[in-house]
Amino acid sequence: MPYARYGRKVILQGNEACAKAAVYAGCKFFAGYPITPSTEIVELMCSEMLNSGGTFIQMEDEIASACSIIGARWGGKKAMTATSGPGFTLMQEAIGFAAVTETPMVIVNVQRGGPSTGQPTKSSQQDIYQAKYGSHGDYEIIALAPASVQEMYDFTIRAFELSEKFRTPVVILADEIVGHMREKLIVYSGEKRIRAGYRHYVLSPQDDFFTGNNTLVEGQLHDSEGKRVGHLPNRSAYYVNSINRKITRHIDEIEDIETFYMADADIAIIAYGSVSRPSLKAVKTARGINVEAERRMRLLNRMIGRKIDKNPYSHLNIGLIKINTVWPFPEKRLKHLAEKCKYIFVPEMNIGKYFREIERCLKESRVISLPKLGGDIHTPDEILMAIVREVGNSE
Amino acid sequence: MRLNIRFAGAGGQGVIRSSILLAKAYGLGEDMNVTQTQSYGPEARGGACKAEVVVSDEDIDYMKIDDVDVFIAYNQTGYDKYCDDLEEKDLVVINSTLVETNNSNHYKVPATKIAEEMGNPLAVNMVMLGALTKLLPNLRYQKVIDVIKEEFDDSIVKGNIEAFDRGYSYMEEKEAMNGEPPESL
Repeated sequence: MPYARYGRKVILQGNEACAKAAVYAGCKFFAGYPITPSTEIVELMCSEMLNSGGTFIQMEDEIASACSIIGARWGGKKAMTATSGPGFTLMQEAIGFAAVTETPMVIVNVQRGGPSTGQPTKSSQQDIYQAKYGSHGDYEIIALAPASVQEMYDFTIRAFELSEKFRTPVVILADEIVGHMREKLIVYSGEKRIRAGYRHYVLSPQDDFFTGNNTLVEGQLHDSEGKRVGHLPNRSAYYVNSINRKITRHIDEIEDIETFYMADADIAIIAYGSVSRPSLKAVKTARGINVEAERRMRLLNRMIGRKIDKNPYSHLNIGLIKINTVWPFPEKRLKHLAEKCKYIFVPEMNIGKYFREIERCLKESRVISLPKLGGDIHTPDEILMAIVREVGNSE
Repeated sequence: MRLNIRFAGAGGQGVIRSSILLAKAYGLGEDMNVTQTQSYGPEARGGACKAEVVVSDEDIDYMKIDDVDVFIAYNQTGYDKYCDDLEEKDLVVINSTLVETNNSNHYKVPATKIAEEMGNPLAVNMVMLGALTKLLPNLRYQKVIDVIKEEFDDSIVKGNIEAFDRGYSYMEEKEAMNGEPPESL
């Protein structure tokens, strides 16, 4: 991430880090309805907004939460809301409205198990498609998937930057594990200056209500003055193209992919969010990278009841591709990074969704889904054993 | 060095709080990498409750625990639930007022008794944390005290530090009696 590592070291929960980051990014309006497992964001925002001269409202539901932050943004305040699966479902209508009115907004979805009320206290990555396709109509969205508390902090700041720059809703797709985990992180003091009112990529009027201009905020397709063009096929098509292209054409600028040990890898794990962490552990174990490998060996010996001296995974040249910006899908870059890989494994805490995107993109490789349902995260051993099952043991 | 520390007990005993304090002492005081996770759900008073802390001088990739090094049991239910995962090398501290076991390798601290004698029954976790601080490697007494001072309201800091000291000195005396320091991990 492009943020300098200076500031104060603290230990916070992921949810708390998200709230702190929002304040640092200049969020001045928060509306939300507390829902497990994102409640801590709402809780902390309540006091943080009070201390930083912002506004906090506990709304009657998530529909109102999402609508009110759109209003707040047009009123000139950077705004955020936080929720989990069931609330995110209710927010979809407002997300579509924000997309068509080109309103910057940040929505934190701390994912829990679904469908419906599902598993409130357990983790999942089941909302990955909903983040992109949740509302009706053609629109593009930006979604970031943090895997650590520091990333929860950094990505929240980046979400505000991206949403202002591309004037679009940005979703932070966290999950229960990241939200409730406590880790050491670096927080910054003061307030970051994030430029608002970029004009490059946007068609709709962009003035905030309080800057002295007349502004039309229109849910129908419209022109640069906010006037309706829904009855004009050409202009309408141009508009829909425009709100999609402003994101797809700047994917180089938006995308954020980290690679680990990919230089000589012919097997790649592609992961996002918290699952990328056991994946990285699996990669390091296979490559015998740190002292932790010894511990793994001992564990393995205990599991199979006999002693193996050699690292049983040393024949695997595994690397990890960690996708931080899950949407827009970084197709071109992924193709380039994984071109030498014969096998691609995609562990996810859902029934195997994002795997389809990757399979579509990497036609040359054998793409294998490693889904896990039930609310627990993959263990490094599960990932490694699945790889060995597919690739085979060493001779 | 990597330490996988697991706390188990009942909701209301301060299990999660003590794990947070330990994570902060290691993370901020000793500048190690830490990850603290906890069971999340019906952890109302009396329900089963678990917290885990990973301490490492390397990056912590996998945030959960699959191989316990240190186990702290606050009550019998918690002990019974996780004692099967233990190996001989593991450091085990139990609240011996509430946990019964025949294993002589465990460190037994009558934490509930000590806390009740002090007239501060809520400070069971502080007694346990004190004993634990004495036993854990690369953790300085003062760093934990600093965290306690910062974490709690002024009105209860004194009582908590007192309880912490009781646990710490209990373990010190035990060690002096036995004459053998705990095996380093």
